[in-house]
Amino acid sequence: MNDDNELTDSAVLSAVRDSISGLPMPTAPRLEAITARGRARRRRRLAGVSIAVTGACAALVVGLAGGGGSGGPVRQLQHVASPVHVSQVHLAAFTVVAGPDGGTTLILSRPQVANPSAVRQALAERGIPALVTANEFCRTADQPAPGVGDVVTLGSPQAGVVIYGSRIPGGVELSIGYRQDPQDSEISFSLIQAGAPLTCTSIPDHGPHGND
Amino acid sequence: VSHEQTEFAEFFQASWEPCLRAVVASTGSVQLAEDQVAEAFARAWLSWRKVRRHPAPRAWVVRTALNAGALWWRRHVRELPLAGHDTPAPRDMDDGLDAAVLTALRHLPDRQREVIALRVFLDLDIDTIAGQLGIAPVTVRVHLSRAVATLRHELSSSRAMEVDR
Repeated sequence: MNDDNELTDSAVLSAVRDSISGLPMPTAPRLEAITARGRARRRRRLAGVSIAVTGACAALVVGLAGGGGSGGPVRQLQHVASPVHVSQVHLAAFTVVAGPDGGTTLILSRPQVANPSAVRQALAERGIPALVTANEFCRTADQPAPGVGDVVTLGSPQAGVVIYGSRIPGGVELSIGYRQDPQDSEISFSLIQAGAPLTCTSIPDHGPHGND
Repeated sequence: VSHEQTEFAEFFQASWEPCLRAVVASTGSVQLAEDQVAEAFARAWLSWRKVRRHPAPRAWVVRTALNAGALWWRRHVRELPLAGHDTPAPRDMDDGLDAAVLTALRHLPDRQREVIALRVFLDLDIDTIAGQLGIAPVTVRVHLSRAVATLRHELSSSRAMEVDR
C-alpha cells in the first residue's frame, strides 16, 4: 500500500543505484599492481605468523572516538593529568590518550608489538569492549549489527581511525587485530558477538570462508 | 602469457568498475572501497582457478571486499605513519555521493547491505545471492525486504525534511 509520499520498492532500489552509478569511479589500477599485491599476500601467508620486529620509526596510528593529539612512542608506563582532565597512559608499545569529550586516541608503535592485553584493558577502561590480538585476526560467525562502519570510520591522517565506543551495543565487542613486520603493517576491525566461538587467522579474513 | 592469466586480465578489466560501485554502496567511501576491491581482486588472482569456476565471480570479489563489514588497513611500512591515508567518508559525500542514500545504507546491518550490493549493482537474482552468501533464498528475500523497508523509511524521511526546508 503506497501513498504519494511512499517510495515503491523499485524506486528505493533505483535511488540507491542512481546515487552510485552517476558517480565517476577511479580507473582500475594496473593489473601488475593487483598481481603484486597477490604475491605479497601469498608471501605473508607462507610466512605464517612469524614476526621480525626491526627498524624503529614506523608507527600505526588508530584514533578512537574523535580523540585528540598524540605523542610518539615512549618507554615507560605513566599517567599524566592536566587541568582539562586529559589523561594519558603511556606504555612501551602503545599510547592511549583520552580527551575531555570522551575522545580517545590509541597509537601502536614499533619497534615493540603492543601487548594485546594491555591495549584491551586500556580500551575497556574507556568503555570500549574489545578483543585485541597481535599477529592474528579474529571474528565470529555472526557479524552483529550495526555494521562496523558505524562504529569505526577512517579519519584524516592526523585523526587516524575514529571508533565510537558508545555505538557498540551490549553483547558485542570490537575485534582489533594487528600485525606489524618489516614489510607490512595491517590492522583490522570487525564486530563480534561476545562469548561466541572465534575464528582466528594469521591474515585478515575478509573473504568468503574457504575461498582462499 | 597463459590462457588463465589472459582470462583473469579480461575479468579484472571488465569487472573492476561494477565491483567497485557495489562496494562503494556499502562502505560509503570511494577510497576505502578502492582499496578493499583491489585486495579482493588480488585474492581472486591468487585463487583464480577456483574463482573462475564460481557461478558469479564478480559476486565473489564483492563479497570478499565487503565481507562482514570488516575495515582494515594494509600499508607498506615505508608509507607509515599514515601519510596520505584513507580519506574520511564525509569528503566522499562532498565529492558527489548522495548523503541521504549513504546514510540510509550505513544504517543497515552488514548482511542486508551485502544483499543490496549484490542485487542492485551486480544484478544477481535471489537464488544466486543465496548461493553466494550461503543462506536460503527465503532468507535473502527477508533481508532484501527489510533492507528496502529501512531504506524507504530513511529516504522518505530525508525527502520530507527537504520539502520542509
